[in-house]
Amino acid sequence: MTLRWFPDEMPMPAASAETMGWWEAAADHRLVVQTCTECGTTRHPPGPLCPHCRSSAWQWRQVPGTGKVYTYTVVHQAFIASLSDRLPYVVAAVELDDAGGARLVSNLVDVEPAAVTVDMAVEVVWEDMGPELAVPRFRPIPGAAPGPRR
Amino acid sequence: MSAGPRRRAVIAGVATSDYPHLPHLSEHAVHAQAADRALADAGLTFADVDGLATTGFFPMYATGVAEYLGLHPIYLDETNTGGSSFEVLVEHAAHAVEAGAVDVVLVTYGSVQLSQMGRRLGTGGGGGGFAPGPAIYDALWGNTLVGNYALAARRHMHEFGTTPEQLAGVAVSMRRHAAHNPQAQEREPITVEDVVSSRLVADPLHKLDCCVISDGGAACIVTTEERAADLPRAPVYVLGAAHATTHHMNMSAMPSLTRTPAAQSGPVAFARAGITPQDVDVAQLYDSFTITVVLTVEDLGFCAKGEGGSFVENGGLELGGRLPTNTDGGGLSACHPGMRGMFLIVEAVRQLRGECGATQVPAAAIAVAHGTGGMLSTGATLVLGKEAP
Repeated sequence: MTLRWFPDEMPMPAASAETMGWWEAAADHRLVVQTCTECGTTRHPPGPLCPHCRSSAWQWRQVPGTGKVYTYTVVHQAFIASLSDRLPYVVAAVELDDAGGARLVSNLVDVEPAAVTVDMAVEVVWEDMGPELAVPRFRPIPGAAPGPRR
Repeated sequence: MSAGPRRRAVIAGVATSDYPHLPHLSEHAVHAQAADRALADAGLTFADVDGLATTGFFPMYATGVAEYLGLHPIYLDETNTGGSSFEVLVEHAAHAVEAGAVDVVLVTYGSVQLSQMGRRLGTGGGGGGFAPGPAIYDALWGNTLVGNYALAARRHMHEFGTTPEQLAGVAVSMRRHAAHNPQAQEREPITVEDVVSSRLVADPLHKLDCCVISDGGAACIVTTEERAADLPRAPVYVLGAAHATTHHMNMSAMPSLTRTPAAQSGPVAFARAGITPQDVDVAQLYDSFTITVVLTVEDLGFCAKGEGGSFVENGGLELGGRLPTNTDGGGLSACHPGMRGMFLIVEAVRQLRGECGATQVPAAAIAVAHGTGGMLSTGATLVLGKEAP
């Protein structure tokens, strides 16, 4: 599914040794969370060391791509001028299912901003931005979304 | 080496520069104005300064200010923790003078953010390029600085039932104080209705939930009690200080969006000062946004977690209230040039010296200045007192 939700002027990711695997999985439309192989603690954004046990051993755990809205904001004033015609848009922190509490900040799409609620159930949708880059955004799970409908 | 009397850190002079609009001054010139006035306030000159603490938005910042001011200090500090930097710089300076590493530290801040915006930022550019490392995990989504604080505000509303009207109460209280400050950027009284009907910037934060954008600077002089004995102003004692951090800039890495680093720095600073929150007479709390203050009064223990909204609603921040806060009008109304922490310290000292006129808190003996930096990422608490500990 291609949304091209934001314009080309958005900052693009510059992957590091720790984040490259995350972006490679994303390009395959797989959502992964960095997981410590010593103590099992998950972390996001990816980093070189487990903040819990300091182990530098990790693996990518694939997660279902569902979750719930931990918090959100409806942006009415864009900092990047070229986003002005996308206003208002929703930025949310999504608490991912089966991810040890890891949260991902992303956008909610396919939803009226006024219908968004904390704890709303959401699922990932992938936006292909190029042959090597896909970006996860989220939308309400049809039938599972609480809150008012328009 | 003989064991002399203990060296005790005091603030011997404070000043603000002109503000809030200084299109005729460079950033360094704002530093110079604030520094010159703070030294005059302390009865000192640049020749007395052997330490410099300052920070800004590029590396080797302090050496640039030293060169501009013609200083060759033996102590330099440019620790940058965002908006809380100046509380940290004063904490460090206090330690350094108490250790005998330096005698007179000039702590100075200057910014022409407002005028620069007119020249550059306000063109609406930005964006593009590459966001390095983990930064991309917050940058890709079109989120904004206000949006990050809005995420915390929304979560607070969800967990504790805080309302937009309660948040608005912070802005209303700050504006009441600003009415007494002739320099304040915004002085016209506002109501809760004005705030919640101002345009949304990042829901639930409205335009009037956000600080003003200003030019301005401020400075203070940290020295020893012994040195200050011969100086004109009553010294203000650094009773205790501490700082903390929960994350860098990614909101996805902040453990709880309703618990800020103040929950860690506050209790440590109060313990070091030998006080409890109940002992605090007046507070200067970083008010980048209304939610920042609600979170801070809770995390510093002035009310229970979740009760910040009702604390504010019941006039808790106002003169005559439980905790008179930001008596100059704060960043929400008086002046916010980007890293406002130095202004908090100046106003706290003025309160303890009894110089605040219409906004003077009667018999103020203990003041707290608390800075918040980054995306609620850092907190630094400074406890100041009128009397020696």
